[in-house]
Amino acid sequence: MDDAAAGAPTASMNKVSRRFARIDAFFRNLTGFAAFGVLAVLAGVIVSLYFGAQLSIDKFGLAFLWTDVWNPVKQEFGALSEIYGTLLTSALAMLLAIPVGIGIAIFLTELSPLIIKRPIGIAIELLAGIPSIIYGIWGLFVLAPFLQVNVQPWIIDTFADVPILSSLFAGPPFGVGYGTAGFILAMMVLPFIAAITRDVFDGVPSVLKEAAYGLGCTRWEVLWHVVLPYARVGVTGGIMLALGRALGETMAVTFVIGNNHRISSSLFAPGTTISAAIANEFTEATSDMYLSALIEIGLILFGITFIVLLIARYMLYRMELRTGR
Amino acid sequence: MSEAKISVQNLDFYYGRTKALKNISMDIAPNSVTAFMGPSGCGKSTLLRVLNRIYELYPNQRATGKVFLDGRDILIGGTDLNLLRAKVGMVFQKPTPFPMTIFENIAFGIRLYESLSPSALRDRVTMALERAALWGEVKDKLNASGLSLSGGQQQRLCIARTIATNPEVILLDEPCSALDPISTARIEELIEELRSDYTIAIVTHNLQQAARVSQKTAFMFLGELIEYGDTEQVFENPRQERTKDYVTGRFG
Repeated sequence: MDDAAAGAPTASMNKVSRRFARIDAFFRNLTGFAAFGVLAVLAGVIVSLYFGAQLSIDKFGLAFLWTDVWNPVKQEFGALSEIYGTLLTSALAMLLAIPVGIGIAIFLTELSPLIIKRPIGIAIELLAGIPSIIYGIWGLFVLAPFLQVNVQPWIIDTFADVPILSSLFAGPPFGVGYGTAGFILAMMVLPFIAAITRDVFDGVPSVLKEAAYGLGCTRWEVLWHVVLPYARVGVTGGIMLALGRALGETMAVTFVIGNNHRISSSLFAPGTTISAAIANEFTEATSDMYLSALIEIGLILFGITFIVLLIARYMLYRMELRTGR
Repeated sequence: MSEAKISVQNLDFYYGRTKALKNISMDIAPNSVTAFMGPSGCGKSTLLRVLNRIYELYPNQRATGKVFLDGRDILIGGTDLNLLRAKVGMVFQKPTPFPMTIFENIAFGIRLYESLSPSALRDRVTMALERAALWGEVKDKLNASGLSLSGGQQQRLCIARTIATNPEVILLDEPCSALDPISTARIEELIEELRSDYTIAIVTHNLQQAARVSQKTAFMFLGELIEYGDTEQVFENPRQERTKDYVTGRFG
């Protein structure tokens, strides 16, 4: 080997290496700035929400979280009905969308003929792209009247004598309400769950599936014992993304929830959610206290989303511990 | 050979329109190791994938001809694929541990076809791991993930998983190509040991390996079976010019 090249670097090589070092440093700072920028924005949002809500926090304290009043005239506010509506509609949406979404993904990756795999996949992605206002007006003008006339009366009659279900499906059929909002939300988050789950399933190595089939597994066994466990981190991620969207979804829910600050055990009763209350009332919030209460429920929504993410992380951590990965 | 375990007759195989196997006919003897060698793309892995019909997972792959396992044609419709694959186990080129614990990786396959008491299941898992020469290395961490093992250990885990279900035939598709020489040696010892109980077919790129572990060797080239005979004869006294060129390293 040439001694000069091995031992002492030449002047021109030094120069090139210094330039590389400068470019590297620049790139590192640029990406680092972007990453920390996210943290700064997040902190800024929390701080400004907190100061905006100061008035209401000082007056109502922690009791705001479990008080079921919303009286702008007397200037008395509590967030329980909004929190209840938010959690209930999101839970309903997840209950409906998770099995259907995973079912779609299973069909698309494992069962469907190649010819229809792509068209259905594209249709699902299009579904995800529909603006929420479209879901909202469709929900209000098409879905809600349909449910009101054709579905809800029948359900109410059918379960009238069944102990728990009768209170779950009670009251006059309004069309709008928790149930309808949950249903619309399910439709809106379904494509997220289906598309992400499909991508994750597609990422399962085919040799792994072949190995399972090679042991004599049926399709079901391969799916349940091999594909799903392998993909569970990604699937959980998709579900959490969907849940995050459901919790914060505003327009579509505002249209079909009924906007009523009362807690009801019936899924057919009109209610409200945090985001729907904010969207509906921020223009009417003429007093400082009213505005501050609205901002505080925004802060609470922020907290709920944060807690959901924490729980998701913890669940993933537990799952990984269990398989020792 | 009248008592062939597997008898392949006039087998053609297609990937879409591409013909990957051309009129293959051969008998595979029970309780022996049959090696398949040949340059990449010659169809040796494809042939192996026909023997448990794993190719059926892919819609545009098709086989025509006859493949008899214990005298019954497995290519005809109505064959129970799950039973067939339970009878004909397969180990792949890359280790494919399932995303479960080491214990579950083995127990999973056993549970598919048998319902055993926990202690009997434990015995079976232990036995399979012992036979695959892995027990000593994993006996203290059966609840660790199968993915936490080294590549060589993972491959032995896959072999243990395959023999745990008591198949009659074991197909090995280049089982050592991703392994270091020590792991390779262990797996070759294992193949030697398993031969008395199972019918083994192994695809390998490694000529020495084929010579070491097998009793019969098939040489394939461009989808055709060029030569098939006793391993000693194929290596030392090949009948075909192309086989000779291949085993002496002149092409391939």
